[in-house]
Amino acid sequence: MNQHLTHSELAGLIKTRAGITVAPEALQSPTATFEEFGVDSLGLLGIVGELENRYGRKIAAGAEMSKSPDEFLDAVNAAITAGA
Amino acid sequence: MTVTRPDRRAVVTGIGVVAPNGIGADDFWKATREGSSVLGPVTREGCAHLPLRIAGEVRGFDAEETIEGRYLVQTDRFTHYAMAAADLALADARFDADAAAPYGVGVVTAAGSGGGEFGQRELQQLWSQGPHFVGPYQSIAWFYAASTGQISIRGGFKGPCAVVASDEAGGLDALAHAVRTIRRGTDTVVVGAAEAPLAPYSMVCQLGYGELSLSEDPDRAYLPFSADACGFVPAEGGAMFVLEDETSARRRGARIRAELAGHAATFTGASRWAESRHGLARAIRGALEEARCAPDEIDVVFADALGVPEADRAEALAIADALGGHAARVPVTAPKAGTGRSYCGAPLLDTAAAVLAMEQGLVPPTPNVTDVQYGLDLVTGFARTAELRTALVLSRGLMGSNAALVLRRAES
Repeated sequence: MNQHLTHSELAGLIKTRAGITVAPEALQSPTATFEEFGVDSLGLLGIVGELENRYGRKIAAGAEMSKSPDEFLDAVNAAITAGA
Repeated sequence: MTVTRPDRRAVVTGIGVVAPNGIGADDFWKATREGSSVLGPVTREGCAHLPLRIAGEVRGFDAEETIEGRYLVQTDRFTHYAMAAADLALADARFDADAAAPYGVGVVTAAGSGGGEFGQRELQQLWSQGPHFVGPYQSIAWFYAASTGQISIRGGFKGPCAVVASDEAGGLDALAHAVRTIRRGTDTVVVGAAEAPLAPYSMVCQLGYGELSLSEDPDRAYLPFSADACGFVPAEGGAMFVLEDETSARRRGARIRAELAGHAATFTGASRWAESRHGLARAIRGALEEARCAPDEIDVVFADALGVPEADRAEALAIADALGGHAARVPVTAPKAGTGRSYCGAPLLDTAAAVLAMEQGLVPPTPNVTDVQYGLDLVTGFARTAELRTALVLSRGLMGSNAALVLRRAES
């Protein structure tokens, strides 16, 4: 199993957990922010919870406050790839 | 300190209904006018084994078609209904939310039980899989204030917002709170209530109510003011309204549907129905006084109509206490006998029906009821033509709240 969360998987999680449809390519834009897609910290918290359950690892507190998809993916991937 | 301006009159300019007998004010009114009953077996998943058999379900409501995904995932069915009803009310009022001053529009809802279905789903996750499987939206979706908050966020309404949790009669108290909000200077309030108590957890909670009808016959389960009254049938849905300061409404050329002229509320204790007589009579007198309305000016009464003999008798006596000799002559009706009681939503559906009845000059009938007790002129069978200038809406809650609302027809 690929222990690395991609933009595409994040787009899927945003759809299921926050109810918002975002194209994976839009998330890849270096200037993309969650605010422009309408994804708030509660939505990200739900995604964090699901990832923690999926990977059986704790993601450092604060990931849900990420402003951009890249910032969020960095925080998540640091946790799920640590010691892998 | 906020200055209250009692000269500001609050008028209804939009009606949005999500009811067991129709979605949208037009469909609701057609069904209400016909007096057909839509009570039927509870069909929701996980409810078949419960002794509560008959209810008023909202049918043909497609949440995904009506509400954006981002709001759907974080809200319970009761909020879906409230958001949809708010949309319908705003459209009916031809209210341009984008053109309105953001701080000029407030939101007030009433709630009786919050989001039981959503809460049950998350609590099942908690005990079956553990706390990490409870989603963050559990923190807001079940909450009584959820509908107010989501309507406010979704519409960009940043004016004064509130939720009234004062039992079933709180539906009328929410309207009164919206009137006060307008008198304090806000021009527009989106106000109402919708409930969704037909899910396993929510239904189990209701099984403790001695007033609940456990009848299995949809035509006999809810017969208020009749000798065969055997309790009330619960329902889901409700109504939202656009309420505006009359001057602002006229300025924007809005169609004025009715004025909320007077309201009062009292409390007489849970299930103490004999005592509700005095509490309800006092609420009626208070509402008449605020409306500067004489008892014989009331042209129609939309009754609480609990369908429990002791409570029905108390209501009839309360109407007689407050209206005197006029009580024997005024037409009384209870359309909810055909839809069930959607708790806080019930008096708001009655308020919608009252506004429409005044506009159409037609008192809708009380479905299913044929024999009428307690000396009331209860309208049964068919709608009755009448000149209706002033309507009285009554509501009581199982926990002891009583409220009365006086509505006046718009002057043409």
